[in-house]
Amino acid sequence: MDLNPCMKHKAVRKAVRMFAEAEIAPIAHDIDRDARFPWEIVEKMKPLHFFGLQAPEDYGGAGMDTISYAIAIEEISRVSGAMGLCLTVHNGVAVYPIVRFGTEEQKNRLLPAMTRGDRIGAFCLTESNAGSDAGGVETTAIRDGKEYVINGTKIFVTNGGVCGVALIFALTDPQNPQRSAGVFIVEKESPGFSVGEKEDLCGMRANPVSSLVLDDCRVPETNLLGRSGNGIKIALETLDTGRIGIAAQALGLAQAAFEDSVRYAKERQQFKKPLSSFQSIQNYLADMATEIDAGRLLLYRACALKDAGRPFGAEAAMAKLYCSALATRVTNTAVQIHGGYGYSKEYGVERYFRDAKVTEIYEGTSEIQRLVISRAVLAQRT
Amino acid sequence: MLKLVVCIKQVPMVSELPWDPKTGNLQRDLAEGMMNPACRSALDAALRIKEAVGGEITAITMGPPMAEEVLREAIALGADRGVLLTDRKMAGADTSVTSHVLARAIEKNCPGFDLVLCGLATSDSETAQVGPQLAEELDIPGVTYVDELEIRDRTVRMQRIADYFLETLEMDLPGLVTVMAGRHAPRYVPLGGLQAAFAEADIVSLDAAAIGIDPERIGAKGSATKILNVFSPTEGKENIVLTGAPKRIVEQLFERFDDRIGSALGRDLKTDKRSS
Amino acid sequence: MTAKRRQIWVFGDYRNYFQNRVTLQLLSRATDLARKIDAEVCAVVFGDKVDEWVGEYIAHGAEKIYRTDHPRLAAYGVETYTLLMERLVKREKPEIVLVGATAFGREFAPRLAKRLVTGLTADCIGLDINGEGLLVQMAPSFGGNLVAEIVTPERRPQMATVRPGTFQEIPHDYARTGEVVDVPMPRDLPADRVRLVQSERCPQRDQKLEDAKVVVCGGRGLGSKKKFAKLFELAELLGGEVGATRPAVYADWADHNALVGQAGKQIRPQILFCFGISGAIQFTAACNGAKFVIAVNKNPNAAMMKRADVAIVADASQFCAALIQEFKKRFRS
Repeated sequence: MDLNPCMKHKAVRKAVRMFAEAEIAPIAHDIDRDARFPWEIVEKMKPLHFFGLQAPEDYGGAGMDTISYAIAIEEISRVSGAMGLCLTVHNGVAVYPIVRFGTEEQKNRLLPAMTRGDRIGAFCLTESNAGSDAGGVETTAIRDGKEYVINGTKIFVTNGGVCGVALIFALTDPQNPQRSAGVFIVEKESPGFSVGEKEDLCGMRANPVSSLVLDDCRVPETNLLGRSGNGIKIALETLDTGRIGIAAQALGLAQAAFEDSVRYAKERQQFKKPLSSFQSIQNYLADMATEIDAGRLLLYRACALKDAGRPFGAEAAMAKLYCSALATRVTNTAVQIHGGYGYSKEYGVERYFRDAKVTEIYEGTSEIQRLVISRAVLAQRT
Repeated sequence: MLKLVVCIKQVPMVSELPWDPKTGNLQRDLAEGMMNPACRSALDAALRIKEAVGGEITAITMGPPMAEEVLREAIALGADRGVLLTDRKMAGADTSVTSHVLARAIEKNCPGFDLVLCGLATSDSETAQVGPQLAEELDIPGVTYVDELEIRDRTVRMQRIADYFLETLEMDLPGLVTVMAGRHAPRYVPLGGLQAAFAEADIVSLDAAAIGIDPERIGAKGSATKILNVFSPTEGKENIVLTGAPKRIVEQLFERFDDRIGSALGRDLKTDKRSS
Repeated sequence: MTAKRRQIWVFGDYRNYFQNRVTLQLLSRATDLARKIDAEVCAVVFGDKVDEWVGEYIAHGAEKIYRTDHPRLAAYGVETYTLLMERLVKREKPEIVLVGATAFGREFAPRLAKRLVTGLTADCIGLDINGEGLLVQMAPSFGGNLVAEIVTPERRPQMATVRPGTFQEIPHDYARTGEVVDVPMPRDLPADRVRLVQSERCPQRDQKLEDAKVVVCGGRGLGSKKKFAKLFELAELLGGEVGATRPAVYADWADHNALVGQAGKQIRPQILFCFGISGAIQFTAACNGAKFVIAVNKNPNAAMMKRADVAIVADASQFCAALIQEFKKRFRS
């Protein structure tokens, strides 16, 4: 069992870091402050395959293994949580389900533009009365000849304001929600599709998280992903993959906060000594390092299982649960170490702190992760 | 088809974060290497030639086994093959020895090469000497500090700024150029290319015996220069910190440093107290 | 015949005499070193009608000049110069050969060292003679963050290129005399394989920042284009130039020509003001040659503050305004 990163994974990390630090870091603060989605960065990411990280080369993707994918998300998030979010949602829960469940026709029609980055993807499950409870979804997709007519409002849609393709979770038969859930591919040109209000959020402010409104939105029947009634299955499997991305994103935020803290603790003098010479600070740093390392190992294990084609749902949930929790703790401690400066927008740690919290909430709250994990645990122990 | 050879060095990584730097202490941790920035520009120049008129690019590096990584990166960026020169006996080489090893390896592995491209200098040792010395070793014309180059027929036309002169130079192939860093925006590694470069890349690894060089003439043993000592010049430098209201700091600054500031500006800054 | 006196040679690089006086600086240092090893200070001049430089070098300390004066040497040519120098060194066997680390020097010296099968240290920022009589060559690395002391124990000559501005030239004395040895142009000199098609002096503007004695640099910490603009006022007042970090250039507060850093310009002013600059390595490596550094930043922990001679903890733009006022007052009096 070799726990050292291989040369390829190191190279992936360096390649992404070089791009992230040179191109995103200079504006990361500003796009957060202005809540602006940086299209210019998207343009620069396109030729580097950031929008097709794991998609097969045949569809214009980079064909990355899952550890490489996690590293890429981690490194982008280390610089900008919001851009990490954009990529993990696009790659993990928009491109991936089309690769996994799409027909050849759907893949050929949709994937090239998505992996090029010309069409950013979104995944839409949450509604005002449904979130963790997927069964509460009220959006309907009623068949009308060779089309589906979709009605409903999705909220908290990551990439919502900029998406070209949205995967909409809807019911074909509202009387029978369990059996009739389906995932529908809606393109931004689809009649009846519109972007609602942009959410005003605590963190991830550079991502245009919005509501999406489907008002008699018509899509051809060929836009149903998988089979009708498979919606729950597709959603669950998609979210398993999505959790890897969110764990990686949380880890990147924690890593950034940790690195800033180490640097600051060495530089900042109090009582004529650097902060790093005080045991209470040393303890903080030791805990941060340990948690980040533990989280990373959990995450990469889940990735390795996925690449090996083995079940990874519970492991991905553990990684997501643990990494998001450690990210909130580590970024919180980072603010504490930075003292007044940590609370100031002059430093990055308050941004990491604001960004980190939501990783415990989206793509399955920590409570839902525990549910997933406990089910796996209870199924094993007889 | 043009045969291009790009010499690349793996150098210790120094954080690229523009306003989030390391402390003054340099981490000479060779475990994390990166492609030297000027070598990246040399590769970029080779790729531009390849894109414009076609060509085959061989990336060559001398270093520890892990230097293979920069070859893979070069392949991800568009190089066609890599040559890794690695041998414990090669360690500690000065520029003259390095150029000797590179020259013999190029002759052996890239016979009939047309153009060798090197970075102007490396970010670690900063000598800028390997390029010109490699040209000597290969007995070919060479031009340093190249900003732009263009190949027509068998002639390279180059532009450079050297010692306040904007020069246009020409040489016939085969030849060697050293390329300035930062002329073009950085070429980032495409992630798909990187996956492919690790899955299926043409890389050969050669030691001293395989290159056919005399072990007495390489490494620290073969080098004419010896390093006696390495130190950090910023250590012990006085670092006066002034705090307070800006106007008050300005006063303090001039009280203590009017001589130094004055001499730097070439002006006398002394005032009779409250002369205004 | 008595044993020949040891010699320290300085390559006469006169192409930019008025901007770059490194040859004169090297003659000065060679004079100091020569005393320690009892050597003669010599300069080598190749060119077309070089009398002016011969006179200058003698006035600045050269005791002997080796001169090849020929119309074919009107323009610098690296292969031709290398060959001439190689033959001359092999004939005269100097102990030390010093070359200014100009663009030409850094192209020419490595080739010469290779032909002579000797060592060469690049871009030295210090030279001395140690107890064993060896030339200790101080070479910066990692953007000046480390300095290595290097010797060439056995091979001769000991060779170094030396960064301009490292040493102070000695004042000229046109009463001094020196021996001039004319080295004839060889008949068998092959044509340089590198052909100079065109050469024009760069517009002065391009080098202003690199040469400026006073540089006022600004970074992201200034916060806005308007505040950055204050720096131009300060620079103009002090007769200096304005430089900018990459974030400041990115933010369009300053022109790309003002970029100081790895991808921009290298500066070595007598005095450097850094306003709101955190001190990324790309920046600090490009201004290591600055003699006196005053950094202003709200954040006392910024790396630039640690590297400065004077670190001022203040709002960069407020301090800049106060500084402008004070300079104005003092310049008036």
